[in-house]
Amino acid sequence: MAHSRLKVLGLASVAFMLLAACGGTSGPAAKVYKIGLVTDIGGLNDKSFNHLADVGLEKAKTDFKVQGDVVESKSGDDYVPNLTNFASKKYDLVIGVGFLMQTAVGTVSGQFPTVNFAIIDGAGTDANFNDLKHPNVQSLFFKEQDAGAMVGALAGLLEKQGKSKKPAHVISAVGGISIPPVNHYIAGYKWAATMEDPGIKVLIGYSNDFTDPAKCKNVAANQIASKADILFQVAGGCGLGVLQAAGQAGVYSVGVDADQKDADPSVIASALKKVDVATYTAIQNVVNGKFQGGALTFSIANDGAGYAIDNLTVPADIQAALDDLKAKIKAGTLTPPADIPA
Amino acid sequence: MAASTATMGRRPGPRLASAARRVAGGFAVPLGSVVFAFLVGGLIVAVTGGNPFAAYQGLLCGGLGIACSTTTGENPALQISTTIVFFTPLLMTGIAVALPFRAGLFNIGAEGQLLAGSVACTIIGIKFSNLPAPILLPMVLLGGTLAGAIWAGVPGVLKATIGAHEVVTTIMLNYVAQWLVRYLIVGGPLQAANGFSASSPIGAGARLPLFLPNDPGLIIFGLPAGVYRVHTGLLIGLAALVIFAILLWRTSLGYEIRAVGQSPKAARYGGINVARTIIVTMLIAGAFSGLAGAIQIAGVDHNLTDKYFNDTTGFDAIAVALLGLGSAVGILFASILFGALHAGGSVMQADAGISSSLVQILQALILFSIAANFLRVLRLPAFGRRPSAPAPTAPAAALMTEAAKAPPGETT
Repeated sequence: MAHSRLKVLGLASVAFMLLAACGGTSGPAAKVYKIGLVTDIGGLNDKSFNHLADVGLEKAKTDFKVQGDVVESKSGDDYVPNLTNFASKKYDLVIGVGFLMQTAVGTVSGQFPTVNFAIIDGAGTDANFNDLKHPNVQSLFFKEQDAGAMVGALAGLLEKQGKSKKPAHVISAVGGISIPPVNHYIAGYKWAATMEDPGIKVLIGYSNDFTDPAKCKNVAANQIASKADILFQVAGGCGLGVLQAAGQAGVYSVGVDADQKDADPSVIASALKKVDVATYTAIQNVVNGKFQGGALTFSIANDGAGYAIDNLTVPADIQAALDDLKAKIKAGTLTPPADIPA
Repeated sequence: MAASTATMGRRPGPRLASAARRVAGGFAVPLGSVVFAFLVGGLIVAVTGGNPFAAYQGLLCGGLGIACSTTTGENPALQISTTIVFFTPLLMTGIAVALPFRAGLFNIGAEGQLLAGSVACTIIGIKFSNLPAPILLPMVLLGGTLAGAIWAGVPGVLKATIGAHEVVTTIMLNYVAQWLVRYLIVGGPLQAANGFSASSPIGAGARLPLFLPNDPGLIIFGLPAGVYRVHTGLLIGLAALVIFAILLWRTSLGYEIRAVGQSPKAARYGGINVARTIIVTMLIAGAFSGLAGAIQIAGVDHNLTDKYFNDTTGFDAIAVALLGLGSAVGILFASILFGALHAGGSVMQADAGISSSLVQILQALILFSIAANFLRVLRLPAFGRRPSAPAPTAPAAALMTEAAKAPPGETT
């Protein structure tokens, strides 16, 4: 009799433990946020936007409870399927890298109004590139003029002190196509260079191309012939020709978007769009429940834009002047213009 | 005429069993090369620290919508529709490579012909954007077809008249087409007025209808219907395969093409106008490729964009034609395989973390094993082939041997 009572007690205690165990697992488990990153055709090893976006995602993975999945687009045909794939799996955030994906993000975000999207350097647009203003799409834009101003100040100071290769108070910029993001860079560059060296002449040329280095090389050669000895490339892959032309002529060049230190020994600095910061911030917003549609702009103020010193040892006084300028832009006492000053 | 030449190509009907054996033998090499590619690809994944089974599960799920993992939440219907969108242009560009192959011509220019078709379709679709679909849709498709035919006709005429090698001329015309597209939409007359490298969209009447309406309220297989992008171009592609098979096996022109491919001298001796056959073959091939380009614009993209700068459909088509042994059925299966690989690569990368570049490796391995032809042992008597049949020594020879056979439909 006692034996069977013990048995019942034993069974009851086992059942209780089971219940307790179940109670433990059914408690509020921390949500794992699913983030999908779709690269453009440049792929992850582009040493530029796609790579930096992945860096931002990896950082978010270490800081938050985030499952980050990446898909590389092999052709423009892949944008819509790749975005759709993540969206159909109810990811918490789908990130498209680069303006090439604008129409694809516009299409897919319309089909999945409950899925959040972010796009670097673009918006969700229709086929005519009009912003559809979907509330579930966040555009991650950059104040290119901030980054341009930093390298422009460096160029101006070098010219003023006669520390460039062939000092003649002439510098230049080679733009790809005369479109807003390109001109923002050049505006900040010219503004800051003129501020540091008031007598400076800033030559501006356009290659009308973003891919063919030969075209940019031509523009650069003309500028070098006109005594420019610091050349700022704002033309993507085409601009590599600017860096090469500067290297061959023995003058300085300035890289763009990502750190282009390794592209050519002539690169003394690079104007940076910190796509990693932008990507990380977008993910952070989703995790914190603060995601909202519309534009998010990255600048020196939120450490989303900046510059890197590359193959050059900068004199202490110039570095101090650069730090001062950066602090003033950050504080808002100086604001680089978005339009190229006359 | 058509009937009599078809009879000329017919041999005494073999027994069903030997026919089946021959079909099996015919498909042994392409199947073997695919198996070989997947084995080596799996080895590469394993050696580089990945899980080949997870990789191929991702490929299968992403490409064909089967064997999907329950944890990743892939939608099989969505994956199948993506694969169909990807393989539709391969059907027609595959023909554009296979048909000249039968005539002994290497058309490496399917890509350029496709681009010519895309450009023509875009121009017509924008210029006449107000016309209703029953008029405009045939116009853009015919325009694309014609442009592709002209693009391939030039190398055809050059080959037939002055003997310029079609490999060189078609490759060069690829570049001309690519740079023409670039010029047109980067600072050129087709660029839309917004600074982006793309044309304006074609008119609504120039667009191929989708199988499912793009209606956000309509939910099919758990997703809004608009995500299934399968368009009626698929039907055109399948019809093109039927036309290709009939043309090749049931018309006097098809007989002439095959005869020229086997031996131009013998064909000439037999009274065939070789120069005319070469030109007509290239015109028809280009027409198929141009149609594919028009269908991509009218069915998928609706405008000419910078993605066409580095489109590879016309190059994948070479592999499709080789893998499909230049037959309509073969092209269909090879297209499905390549479309599935294309669609599956992304899912594999998203789910299994294996770079989608594995797909390019697999495609290259398939091509490699066909081109190197070391799998020809699969065709030896052990596999049921008649010992008297000579083993082909090169892929071209393999196709020519295929060409010498009776049409597949007549053997049963």
